[in-house]
Amino acid sequence: MKLSPEGREALAAEYALGTLRGRARARFQSMMAADRAVGDAAARWEAALTPLAGRLAPIEPPSRVWRAIEARISPARPQASSYWRALAMVSGGFATVLLAFMLWTFPGASSEPDFVAVLMAPDSAPRMVVSMHEPDMLKVRMVKPWKPKEGMGLELWVMPKQGKPRSLGMVKNGMGETVIHVTHADPRVRDAVAFAVSLEPMAGSPTGEPTGPVLCSGVIAPVRPA
Amino acid sequence: MAEDSARLEALLARTALGDRAAFAELYRATASKLFAVSLRIVRERPLAEEALQDSFVNIWRRSSDYAAARSAPLTWMTAIVRNRSLDIVRRTREQPDVDDELSANLVDETAAPARQAAARRDAHTIRQCLEELDPDQRQTIALAFFHGLTHTELASHLRKPLGTVKTHVRRGLAKLRDCLMGKVEA
Repeated sequence: MKLSPEGREALAAEYALGTLRGRARARFQSMMAADRAVGDAAARWEAALTPLAGRLAPIEPPSRVWRAIEARISPARPQASSYWRALAMVSGGFATVLLAFMLWTFPGASSEPDFVAVLMAPDSAPRMVVSMHEPDMLKVRMVKPWKPKEGMGLELWVMPKQGKPRSLGMVKNGMGETVIHVTHADPRVRDAVAFAVSLEPMAGSPTGEPTGPVLCSGVIAPVRPA
Repeated sequence: MAEDSARLEALLARTALGDRAAFAELYRATASKLFAVSLRIVRERPLAEEALQDSFVNIWRRSSDYAAARSAPLTWMTAIVRNRSLDIVRRTREQPDVDDELSANLVDETAAPARQAAARRDAHTIRQCLEELDPDQRQTIALAFFHGLTHTELASHLRKPLGTVKTHVRRGLAKLRDCLMGKVEA
């Protein structure tokens, strides 16, 4: 079905207003995807009408909404492999499973760590394991390195409960481990909830915050009480 | 306002990089505004919670598309929430498909081309233009926009014939478009 320019405008306007409903709405949405001119008209009307919504008085949603969103975007969500599905099901024994995974991946692992975090790529593949060992050793082990990129390296970030990510410096992009000396009392790891690794210039992020893509990230699971 | 927009834009950019802390901050900064938008349309809190949840998951996944959008960050996010809310209403409220008639009547290849409206318009402009409509048109359009009413619901709410209501919507929108284009060209 091809729309005349007049018809396109009128339908786009009613779509953005919200009066285009039912099958007509669904049909218009598929036309938007198929025909650039239709998509553009809808975008124009949306941009024109939507600012009206700014007049409404805000209403605070309950906190369960954010918790549900967080759960849905979590990289630990089981997708492909049954290993991760199994992992998600035993959330009670999460840390134990992570630890087992770590020991299994690195048979040479020494003392039992205080916490571990398995950093996963967006496709849920585990890429690095971060573990904290008494008294001041943060070990970063590579599971699978990335293809090296000229002039670029990996920067490790601590994600605190609130606020901006904090850098723990660059880590090696290769098999083996990087040891970072940091104690539990170090302000950089205070209230840490997760770790992430981003691609940055070799000298580290020029802004002090992640600037390149986040290659992998993972939440911290305590192994024993701090 | 512009400062606010720049902050949201920066948060969206970091969200596109997978920065969860930035996404959480984006949620804290906008959720109450967007929840109000959805609640007006879906009318029931559980449905508005569902719409907000789905929308933010969408925003997380589509944050890298924002760079290509021509609108302010809050406008982009509000459109996602409104669309999700309207989809949820469509699923939950039974209603006759009154719009088929409209879309069927509008296929006319020989009609004169509509003038192009420019992409950027701010809230001030749209409010001014809304003020310039006839009271009937303004009321009908505001009810449809803020409460997500269909043509049929508008007719029963306003106690007017369906045809009259559709005319108010259509003429009101056409007048809005002319007004918006006039403001952009002026």
